[in-house]
Amino acid sequence: MALDTCTISLTVNGQPHVAEVEPRRLLVDFLREDLGLPGTHIGCEHGVCGTCTVLLNGASIRSCITFAVQADGAEISTVEGLASDGGWHPLQDEFSAKQGLQCGYCTPGMLMRACEILADNPDPTPEQVRSAIASNLCRCTGYQFITEAVVAAAARMRATAAAKEAAS
Amino acid sequence: MKPPPFSYAAPTTLDEAVGLLTEHAEAEPRVLAGGQSLIPLMNFRLAKPGFLVDLRNVAGLSGIRRDGDILVIGAMTRMSELERSPEVAVAVPLLAEAVGLIAHTPVRNSGTIGGSLAHADPAAELPAVALACDAELLAAGPAGARRIPAAQFLRGPFSTALAPDEILTEIRLPVWHGGHAFAEFSRIHANFAVVGVAALVELDGDRIGRAALAVTGVAPTAIRATAAERALVGAAAHATTVAEAARAGADGLAPVGDLHASAETRISLARTYLRRALDLAISRARNER
Amino acid sequence: MTATDRAAAAPPVRDHSAKRRWVGQSIRRVEDPKFLLGQGGYIADRITPGCLHAAVLRSPHPHARILRIETTEAQAAPGVHAVITGQEAAELCDPMPDFGPDPARHTWRCLAADKVRYVGEGVAVVVADSRYLAEDALELIEVEYEPLPAVVDPERALAEGAPLVHEALESNCAYERTFDFGEVERDFAEADVIVRDRLRWHRSGGQPLETVGAIAEYDRGTGSFTIDTNTLSFTSYLFMAANTLKVPANKLDIRPVPAGGSFGSKLFANKPGVIAAMCARKTGRRVAYLEDRVDNISNCDHHGSDRVYDVELAMMRDGTMRGIKIDVIDDYGAYIQFGVGHHGNALAQVVGPYTIPSVRYRVRAALTNKNQQGAYRGFGSEVNNWMLEQMVDKAARELGIDPVAVRRKNFIREFPHFIPTGNVYDSGDYDRVLDKALELADYAHWRDEQQRLREEGRYIGIGVISAQERSVFSATEFWFWFDEPGAPVTSTPESVTLKVDATGGITAILYSCAFWGNSPETMVSQFVAEEFDCSPYDVSVVYHGSRDGLPATGPGGSRTTVMLAGAVEGAAAKIKEKARRAAAHLLEIAPDDMEWADGGFRVRGDPERKKSLAEIAVMLHLFKHSFPEDMESGLDGSKVFDHPYTTMPSADRKDLGVFYPFMGHACHIPVVEVDIETGAVTFLHYAAVHDCGTLVNPRSLAGHIVGGTAQGIGTALYEEYVYDEDGQLLSSSYLDYLIPSAMEVPELTIGHVETPSPYTPHGVKGGGEGGRMMAPAAINAAVNDALAPLGIRLTELPMTPERILAALRAAGQAG
Repeated sequence: MALDTCTISLTVNGQPHVAEVEPRRLLVDFLREDLGLPGTHIGCEHGVCGTCTVLLNGASIRSCITFAVQADGAEISTVEGLASDGGWHPLQDEFSAKQGLQCGYCTPGMLMRACEILADNPDPTPEQVRSAIASNLCRCTGYQFITEAVVAAAARMRATAAAKEAAS
Repeated sequence: MKPPPFSYAAPTTLDEAVGLLTEHAEAEPRVLAGGQSLIPLMNFRLAKPGFLVDLRNVAGLSGIRRDGDILVIGAMTRMSELERSPEVAVAVPLLAEAVGLIAHTPVRNSGTIGGSLAHADPAAELPAVALACDAELLAAGPAGARRIPAAQFLRGPFSTALAPDEILTEIRLPVWHGGHAFAEFSRIHANFAVVGVAALVELDGDRIGRAALAVTGVAPTAIRATAAERALVGAAAHATTVAEAARAGADGLAPVGDLHASAETRISLARTYLRRALDLAISRARNER
Repeated sequence: MTATDRAAAAPPVRDHSAKRRWVGQSIRRVEDPKFLLGQGGYIADRITPGCLHAAVLRSPHPHARILRIETTEAQAAPGVHAVITGQEAAELCDPMPDFGPDPARHTWRCLAADKVRYVGEGVAVVVADSRYLAEDALELIEVEYEPLPAVVDPERALAEGAPLVHEALESNCAYERTFDFGEVERDFAEADVIVRDRLRWHRSGGQPLETVGAIAEYDRGTGSFTIDTNTLSFTSYLFMAANTLKVPANKLDIRPVPAGGSFGSKLFANKPGVIAAMCARKTGRRVAYLEDRVDNISNCDHHGSDRVYDVELAMMRDGTMRGIKIDVIDDYGAYIQFGVGHHGNALAQVVGPYTIPSVRYRVRAALTNKNQQGAYRGFGSEVNNWMLEQMVDKAARELGIDPVAVRRKNFIREFPHFIPTGNVYDSGDYDRVLDKALELADYAHWRDEQQRLREEGRYIGIGVISAQERSVFSATEFWFWFDEPGAPVTSTPESVTLKVDATGGITAILYSCAFWGNSPETMVSQFVAEEFDCSPYDVSVVYHGSRDGLPATGPGGSRTTVMLAGAVEGAAAKIKEKARRAAAHLLEIAPDDMEWADGGFRVRGDPERKKSLAEIAVMLHLFKHSFPEDMESGLDGSKVFDHPYTTMPSADRKDLGVFYPFMGHACHIPVVEVDIETGAVTFLHYAAVHDCGTLVNPRSLAGHIVGGTAQGIGTALYEEYVYDEDGQLLSSSYLDYLIPSAMEVPELTIGHVETPSPYTPHGVKGGGEGGRMMAPAAINAAVNDALAPLGIRLTELPMTPERILAALRAAGQAG
């Protein structure tokens, strides 16, 4: 059956949502405007810069070249879901500590990509981090302090995981 | 840069999907796989399909399996799955290497092998891999399924042998014993290749027993470098042969230049990358023995 | 000016001996938390329900008359509230604010009315319920164009018979003048060798990840516009934008919102705001116009310098530099909103760090069918750095002198130093910067490596450049181009108000000062903390709009930190003066017997008798009767800090006066490898040492050095707005305008040297632009060093693989 609007159900940062969308509505616009989550930004709208990166079922995607209807049934994670009641996510804290941001515009996409990088490889070398973040453009920092931040966050996350393991 | 409006369906069976393409033919329907090539075009309003048939919920279109000496891959298999697959790494390592060069992880998480092949960008990696491997592509249409050899599949820039009401369902890649290499030149890491080469080589003692070479970025589609292959087969597997084959492969090319590389540069890059890919493929072939 | 006049005109030399507690600390930025939470509040985040959206129809032609625009179908499309063509816009609005030489004859409007002059120029705007619907309606607008011949090459644009971009100007030369500083002909006659070259720098641009955007409202009741936008600068000149909108200046309020980067491209970028405001007045609704990426690439009005240089450098055989003759054509595109100010930036430091005694500078501004130039990090001085360092390296090669030695031989070593143009270098230590850079670069090791790898057939190159990074421009730079300027303005202030509330909490108000990724809140918080012994994180920073705010100029020319330092110092002084008198009154002591220490005033010699700022503040806010008649309640102070060191140009313009005095300096030493088969350039090492005077937040400055260097890498190797010979813009998206990723930018080894300015608070100089002002020169030098054995020298940027391979082919060396 052909549809001019679709009903989609998805979870965003742990919250379930049901919505009626035009098929052409880009996921990034759906998140920003329909769900009131403006943390994901628009940079190029043709899938090159990575500013719009979010996680879909744990995998990074470019939400400016994804229709909201393609996220039906999925779990989306955006920057708004990173900090918890317990405080900053280690990545957020290290980005601040290392000054891994200047204008902050690429930062949400960079943070989400970094989550995926560290989930795939909890102990990356700086070279591996640099190669992995090549997916996300930054015009301000020249990438150096971002790389340092991700490496530092990785160390903290490994230590936390090891402590948890030791405690259990 | 918002896309134009379209009607949409996400069928659950292949028959339904084919049926929709036929039913909505006047709307100029397109198939939506990962969307990583199609959606940017729509955001630029360079593509304006009136109907999109989304394959995401169609059962049976993704997966990787071995069928004897053939690696069978469902068209909707995500590139990231191909990249991580131990079966692909063993059966067709050329594919694994080429996929790793396609854009970045986020694009590979959504992009599919079928989508890339059906899009047929003249600079894309997977059409070259399909050609080099002599792959078979399976398509489903209203009249049933058919097999299309890779050599007949690519017709022109962004143009394939698929009819408007046909869907690519499966890619069958023969397993190649020997050495492989995919090498490409791009200006920015992981960007579109300016020129790329897929190379497969089997050694027969110290000689080259078999070779398959495909080149992207130098013609309206990826092409087999048959002159280079002829220069290789039966010849001793060393530097002079490789250089000669590379020259033969670059000879007679008439690429179109653009702001990134002139025609002359593309020809010289083809020669360079044929050589580099062959060197690597031969050394891998040696290590395998 | 005589030496005596110059000495008299200089500000007092400051004593920087005080120990600093907050200035100099690499504290975490005050700005960060909101950005990390995804609550940055950028312009696109401020769309409210019911806000309408605008989309602009762009010209596909580089040069064409607009014969007819048919909008009926578009007006009837779903969700459309208005369609405004260029003709109608010309009635609703006056021309755009324009500081160019002859705006009446190269008139710039927010939408083209009769003629389009570049691919991407806007011809109509649609206002609809959503951007999606607005773009749908754009496709229904029919435009009939009469294409005209396009003029694309700047030299051809200046030649006889070229198609005219603006008929009324009767020429494509918007400005031409030759300046002579010092005894040029004598120096050239006495020189041993004249080194000549022709150099070409193609335009690139800031391309921040966030485009320009504005949300405008028109209040019919008051006849006022409010525009929220991510662009700023030059508050006192915003009456020009009000003129465009045909309202009095005090009926326009422009409110700054955080911007996702600028690098100059959001400086005074008023067109989106004007378009949004025009649409808001027409529809009676709040209207957002957010550029998309293609809008920004093709129609941003902020392309970078685009120059052809013919240069002669006069040298003595022993390596002494005698004089320089510079003939530069700059391709400004179809309009010239900032005049040739970019060449003022060049003239501020035209001789680099060298004691070159004479300069001839001929500048011609060519108009072509391209988007116009605006601002890009360096604002034209980075191009001069590149040109000069190329010439110095060429001279070194021709004379057989080591490139490091030839630089040292000519270094300026006494400060303040007045260069031939009249500008001053306030302080510096160029030897120290060079020494440190050579050490960090492990220079001797890499020269050995270069030799060793050459024998393996690899082409390694090392670039050593030493160059200036000026900071804090004066307004004279806008008009000293003309003997009889229409408006010889002299103000470029920056203002801060500090308010101390009844609890002693401090709020700092910035006036149309933009957050672009620079760190104004952190800078101000560190300065306030230094003044008042509080924590920088306890300072509240507020950005005020333009209408009811104090004058401000905003970021640009690396001025913000210095100017905010002066404004905070001034505002703090007023607060402390009142607080001293108040504390003295409360303690019944003479004010002169009070001293500031540890966050309050205490009695000199009796430190236990003291009043903290909070104690003083609560009294001043709530207990009027505790104070004398003439002491008002409250505790606040504002300072309008004007440029502290500007002098006037001479009537004959042989001395342009002081207009960019706080002179930083840097040395960049990249090591590259050139793949001669592909033309690819990769980095093996990169050392950078900068001297920006006293550093407020060293980590923050280091971040700007890396980021600026990354953009310099883009300019040197990857980025170009490419127009073909027919004027078509080939690089209209990020598929073709190539921005360096993390894999194209190496890790930098950074060093700091600090020679404080004698004239600024804490000795601070600006440094935000420096990375980009050095890198293109350094990378070109490195590539040339790599290819020197093949007899190849690149003189055109960007050094794309195509250009490198073409040079190799021409030299018979292609792989």
